[in-house]
Amino acid sequence: MQHCTPEQLALAALRETLPANEDAHLASCGSCRAEVTALRRAPELLAVPHLAAPVDDVPPPPQVWQAIAAATGVTATPADHSPVRAAPATPAADPGGTVVPFRSRRRPVLLTAAAVVAGAVVGAGAVTAVQSTGEDGDSVTSVALDLLPEASGTADVVVRGDGSRVLQVDLDAPALEDAYYEVWVIDRSVQGMLPLGVVTPGTQTVELPDGLDLSEYPLVDVSVEPLDGDPTHSGVSVARGDLDA
Amino acid sequence: MSGALALREPIMGSVQAVGHVPGTRSVVDPDDAEIGRRFAAGEEQALAWAYEQWAGQVHGMAVRAFGPGPDAEDVTQQVFVAAWTGRARYRPDDSPLPAWLVGICRHKIADAWAKRDKQRREAEAAMTEAQARPGGPVTAGVDAAATDRVLLLDELDHLGQPQRGIIELAFFEDLTHAQIAERTGLPLGTIKSHIRRTLERLRTRLEVDGAALHA
Repeated sequence: MQHCTPEQLALAALRETLPANEDAHLASCGSCRAEVTALRRAPELLAVPHLAAPVDDVPPPPQVWQAIAAATGVTATPADHSPVRAAPATPAADPGGTVVPFRSRRRPVLLTAAAVVAGAVVGAGAVTAVQSTGEDGDSVTSVALDLLPEASGTADVVVRGDGSRVLQVDLDAPALEDAYYEVWVIDRSVQGMLPLGVVTPGTQTVELPDGLDLSEYPLVDVSVEPLDGDPTHSGVSVARGDLDA
Repeated sequence: MSGALALREPIMGSVQAVGHVPGTRSVVDPDDAEIGRRFAAGEEQALAWAYEQWAGQVHGMAVRAFGPGPDAEDVTQQVFVAAWTGRARYRPDDSPLPAWLVGICRHKIADAWAKRDKQRREAEAAMTEAQARPGGPVTAGVDAAATDRVLLLDELDHLGQPQRGIIELAFFEDLTHAQIAERTGLPLGTIKSHIRRTLERLRTRLEVDGAALHA
């Protein structure tokens, strides 16, 4: 069989979708897959949320300009930082809209932007979903969870013999103190989200409610939730995958 | 060369400007390109203008990486100081000033991660097994790959246009090659071959220098 072109392998390394015939070849060809794996290391290291294009402006406090002026000897001043009004510190702006690991809780409304940030980086690209058949004949949709370097895993939708479904979550992430991991399914607009339960590093299953349409909530998300009695999403996600990808 | 020209404007368009409070802007109101040219020429006022315009973006990235506080402020400060002292390397015709500042910011974030990773490993080495706390707090990017990130960002600096703009759109804006072609106006085939060559170049850099570092 003819090998994939180098261009196609590079696109596969960026987790772009290949034409069906190339994709089929890639699935069966060890040397093409090895090439993709080798090319993938750079995008995996750099295409992370924290290095993505800037999304939210946060005005730095006045002392930042003062330090720059001191280090460079520049006497010109930015209009917003004239020395006369340097004293009253600008209230620290809410960083908002960002996925920052293990930080304090944000307002839930900000999760929208947060997820869009992550989606833009991880997006349809950085996850793989396969349709396959489970060992005992159950149908399985599997998705790799991947968002931050220190957490990863997979989520498998397993359909039992009686038609009920569970999400099998295999989470590889550090143990937490005074916080726990929760798994969610989230819709594409990142407005609707359903908490499915507490998960821990390792393998476990959580029930999927009957009637839940996973095509409406295709994003599987693992968040860090502080033990603060607030049932909403903390806005701090460590792993995410797209069931439709 | 038309390729580089075609790429420049869309990249600029992708970088958001800082919103201004009306009336706080300087009397002289140069456009972004003018700020870039004057910055490169070493006009001190241009550093103040650049800060006015883009400190929010840079600090937003730093805060995203480190949370609000001294660490993020250090990064923002380092970005502007490094940009000013390294202004001789800035080519206004190659990229807009905000894109260049964002690139420096990525370096500073990756440097800070690498430094923390080194400290973490030294601290771990100094600790006895009993004192080590596996599963303690972690910070994104502080891992064994931190030095490889620094290497890769350095390699990106050595790319010319339009290669650099193309791979940045793929890495940092998560665009597909078709979307990059649309955004830049360059042919699909050109985008694909640049992506391939750049990924191969990055792999080589990792294999050569990354291996040496880890040895």
